[in-house]
Amino acid sequence: MKVGIPKGLLYYKYHPFLVTFFSELGAEIIISEDTNKNILDAGVKHCVDEACLPVKIFHGHVASIKDKCDVLIIPRIMQLWKNEYICPKFCGLPEMVINSFNNLPLTITEPIYATSMNKLYCWAKTSGKFLRKNNYEIKRAFVNALNEQRKYEIGINDSGYEINIALTGHPYNIYDRFSNMNLVKKLNNLGIGIITSEFTKEDILYQEAEGLYKKPFWTFARENYGFAVNASKDKTADGIIYVSSFNCGTDSVIIELIKNSVPDFPFLILKIDEHTGEAGIDTRIEAFKDMLERRLFNESNISTLG
Amino acid sequence: MKATFPHLGNVYIAVKALFDGLGIDYIIPPQNSADALTIGSKYSPEEICLPFKIMIGNYIQAIEEGADTVILTGSCGPCRFGEYCELQMNLIKSLGYELNFIVLDMPKDIGIKELLKRMGKIASASTKSRFEKIKALNAALTVMHLIDETEALSHYLAGFERNKGECKTLLHECKRNAIKCSNPNEMISLIKYYNDKLKFISVDINKNPLKIAIIGEIYTVIEPYSNFYIEDKLMDYGVSTKRGLTPSWWIKNMALSPARLNSLQIKKSSQNYLSMEIGGHARECIGEAVLSYNEGFDGAIQIFPMGCMPEIVSKSILPSISRDHNFPVMSLVVDDMTGEAGYITRVEAFIDLLERRRENVLYGS
Repeated sequence: MKVGIPKGLLYYKYHPFLVTFFSELGAEIIISEDTNKNILDAGVKHCVDEACLPVKIFHGHVASIKDKCDVLIIPRIMQLWKNEYICPKFCGLPEMVINSFNNLPLTITEPIYATSMNKLYCWAKTSGKFLRKNNYEIKRAFVNALNEQRKYEIGINDSGYEINIALTGHPYNIYDRFSNMNLVKKLNNLGIGIITSEFTKEDILYQEAEGLYKKPFWTFARENYGFAVNASKDKTADGIIYVSSFNCGTDSVIIELIKNSVPDFPFLILKIDEHTGEAGIDTRIEAFKDMLERRLFNESNISTLG
Repeated sequence: MKATFPHLGNVYIAVKALFDGLGIDYIIPPQNSADALTIGSKYSPEEICLPFKIMIGNYIQAIEEGADTVILTGSCGPCRFGEYCELQMNLIKSLGYELNFIVLDMPKDIGIKELLKRMGKIASASTKSRFEKIKALNAALTVMHLIDETEALSHYLAGFERNKGECKTLLHECKRNAIKCSNPNEMISLIKYYNDKLKFISVDINKNPLKIAIIGEIYTVIEPYSNFYIEDKLMDYGVSTKRGLTPSWWIKNMALSPARLNSLQIKKSSQNYLSMEIGGHARECIGEAVLSYNEGFDGAIQIFPMGCMPEIVSKSILPSISRDHNFPVMSLVVDDMTGEAGYITRVEAFIDLLERRRENVLYGS
């Protein structure tokens, strides 16, 4: 049986789990290629206009593999931590995909609650039953998949650069090299080192978020907010760059929260969408670098905001 | 304490009844208008949704009239509404205003103790006895229920009325007079009077008007300013409309949700298309669309603010419902830049389409 996994959204963070689980169950795994122009175009064509770029790209990945596989996995990630969601679009992702395409193969759309081992295993059990496997095989595959996932390390922690910035944003915006126009490499070429939120401990992220009036109920709100505030406090970075997709509902809130908490810290918001011109991005990060250089090396570190 | 609250359709009438009953000083912000929206869009984050901007306008206009406390409901669903309170607090503070926020969140998120504490803050401003407080709350709920019922009735009967414009006139007269009442009981009897009057207007039962369901995001369907008074306009065109989402529905839904007995019909009819709660009112939107088809409606109009996350999901599902049932659905996206003329043209074109579908046999498969 051929199982298709679209390379979009949280694939970048959790692909070891998905890939190992289904290959252990004896399925042939079909993964879509890296995002490219064709995938983006197919996504824009099939998806509703109002959706954000990552969701459109996910639709594109589905379009590219839907005819090559027997079963398509559309992860409906409801919760990764207790009392936290990702975004309503993640909860309704299978519906968005299923209603946007004709003749899709069979789909696995079981909700994923990664809040406890038992709940995650529920997902594994239903998905495994789909491939007609028995409990023993499913359990073994599940354990192996979890081990693979634990071994996998994602994140960037550069050293040896004079200027370091905290790169924040949703993982699929940071690690999708096509949609952010190879931002990581661009920054490195300019002589800027990058740190991402994965290298800050979970409890520190929680601690920072506790300063808010309302506990954030989005996982990435807590992580990005905690990371950005922590980086500016501990001076692990000289500035923050936030990669955000246009019309992202959660980002519109997170960015405001960060701005409120660190009002006089260099903070650049890069908006990406399906039309983003590369020259504009280049100019903005070059200008940001100039500003950081002047701030760090030429002037005493005094906020112009007073 | 001088309390205020953001506008949401007819909620101001019920809140007036509540505060009158409790004897708390309050300010009703001026009715939503271009002024409120201009103030709101000036200060709000650029990408936030429309309700946020209008609410900021409400607060600032109320502060200018002397309000010092805002009462706001909250949520902890994945929808952005839950984060409003925090952003609005920061925003109002950074503008240099002094404004207290009392956020009434769901007990399962902040704990029942915290909720009672916050409600206590409101109750302590009142000098009335506990019995009178409960009576005031009850009266306010009755007012909410009655005004929603009156509104729904007039929207429905507008398609059948013999004297054109009678329903609309009565409804607006009712709202205008209700706000002049000085105590809750007077208000209840007044709304009842208009309700009865509406029930006995002269109707033509042989008429078969177009029936349209209004579905979508709760704020933009309820608050008439944000949807350019679409229901009033449809009344002018002689179209019967129905809207499932009302403040009284919301209260009932909230009260029943811990027992999972809320909106059973909606849950059942949305089962085939969206089987999960995904936040906001996406599921209600889908359920209402299917329900209105089953009830013999001619079409549905979905309204939501730009960037509304749950409604984007429902927008991508609605074409399937439309295809499966041969049921026209139009989606309208509103934000602070929406031009009224373009918007009205689309509504009119939609009505033309529905009319032609009925009269002409050429449509269909």
